[in-house]
Amino acid sequence: MQLKRGAFNTQSARRRLMAASCALLGAGVARSQETHMAPPDSGLLEDWSVDSALAYYHEDGRIEAIEPVVDVSKVFADGQAVNFNVTFDALSGASPNGALTSHTAQTFASPSGKPEHRYTTAPGQLPVDPDYQDDRIAVGGNWTVSISRLDQVSVGGKVSAEDDFFSATVSASISHDFNEKNTTLSFGVDNEFDSIHPIGAAPVPGSDYALAQKQTGGKTKDGVGMLLGITQVITRTWLSEFNISVDRFQGYLNDPYKITSIIDSAGGTTGYEYESRPDQRTRKSAYWENRVAWSSPVSTALSLRYMSDDWGVRSDTAQLHLRWSLSARDRYIEPTIRWYRQTAADFYAPFVLNTDMPPSGYESSDSRLGAFRAMTYGVKFAQKLPGLGSRAESELSVRAEYYQQTFDERMAVPLGLQGLDLYPGLKAILVQVGWRF
Amino acid sequence: MMRSRLGFLFLIAVTILVSGCNMLGVKPWQRDVLAREEMQLGADPLDAAIDDHLYFSKEASSGGRSYAGGGCGCN
Repeated sequence: MQLKRGAFNTQSARRRLMAASCALLGAGVARSQETHMAPPDSGLLEDWSVDSALAYYHEDGRIEAIEPVVDVSKVFADGQAVNFNVTFDALSGASPNGALTSHTAQTFASPSGKPEHRYTTAPGQLPVDPDYQDDRIAVGGNWTVSISRLDQVSVGGKVSAEDDFFSATVSASISHDFNEKNTTLSFGVDNEFDSIHPIGAAPVPGSDYALAQKQTGGKTKDGVGMLLGITQVITRTWLSEFNISVDRFQGYLNDPYKITSIIDSAGGTTGYEYESRPDQRTRKSAYWENRVAWSSPVSTALSLRYMSDDWGVRSDTAQLHLRWSLSARDRYIEPTIRWYRQTAADFYAPFVLNTDMPPSGYESSDSRLGAFRAMTYGVKFAQKLPGLGSRAESELSVRAEYYQQTFDERMAVPLGLQGLDLYPGLKAILVQVGWRF
Repeated sequence: MMRSRLGFLFLIAVTILVSGCNMLGVKPWQRDVLAREEMQLGADPLDAAIDDHLYFSKEASSGGRSYAGGGCGCN
């Protein structure tokens, strides 16, 4: 994440990114034309499968993002499989800084600390840094090899870089088939190492925003996770998967750019302080997915997830994909609905009273740690096309999603805050085109 | 509460998936429907990755289907 002003020409970068993305998606067309002139097995990627997508994400009044992704994979004759993927994110727009909406105008310094980067939020408006910017590139790969007729081992890695953040993850898993390959048991571990260098340096957690107390040097956090899964063929038309996972992160878990408003008993803002989160977090989750073919053209994928952590967050997620194949399976339409709800972290508070500071010393007004519900409605349409080279077919797809968060737990507020929209929620759309060949 | 709920889910799934696994399943020549693209776990990996990145950056939960780490500074 990066918040700064003026160092990057956003419009220019967006045009370059769009051009690069179009070139990426257009590569398939070029290959298609080439295959008419060359033998089918002469291309460099002839035996590789390519999955590419370009996504555009837009939040109502806040962030927008462009994300091209490409994944290439190959399965060898001896059962080995490799894949590589590259993701680029370009985000820009306005990001909430954590402060509370107020009846009076509020002026904030940007994380850079430069006077010319100060910004003012009008009365009744949610305080947002209007110059949020974040560019990220991530590269990953995975290699799977069969060590016996029934056992497979997979190892992978991923690195991700932003101006103020670097992450490296390694993972490994092993799986075993039995019961005539109707049952698969798998176990995996992963280890993530993150390095954080916030713009303007990391603030002292819980310190007074006006004093701008910063810590020297970068910050780190690392996490280790485990996943135990079982996949079972139930019937000829029903496949089920169940996973249990646990992960533990420790280190710098704050958002260095988030602040919390300090409110007096009348509702007036007396100041702000930087958020302060615990430096450890352990999450546990259970995940159950069922794929069922109801008839030749209709199938569903239903997934349920329960997650809890030692910050007090509990969440439930249910997602349903319904695929309806049309025209002899040459195309399909796939509506999606997702329901999500979470409880708030123990230390979440949209503001702190100046007479009642949190006894734990931890506090965050980050709405992502609050109690809310979210709904996603989506639809995807895909068309099968003639294959390229040795591929039997290719697929062109477009999908759109609408995402909405609604906060449903509200604190009692002082009289001076009444009438303000303190929980504005979030509305966002996602549009994506994809080409697989 | 958390442990009992996870344990209950685990018990249900293990009962269905493990205890009965010898009675479940199909013969190799009955895998025609299961071989379809839409019946594969992770059938649309890029859609899932893009959605997971969105949810990771906007919600307090992640993972379940695979590893929970996000590899980005957005949360």
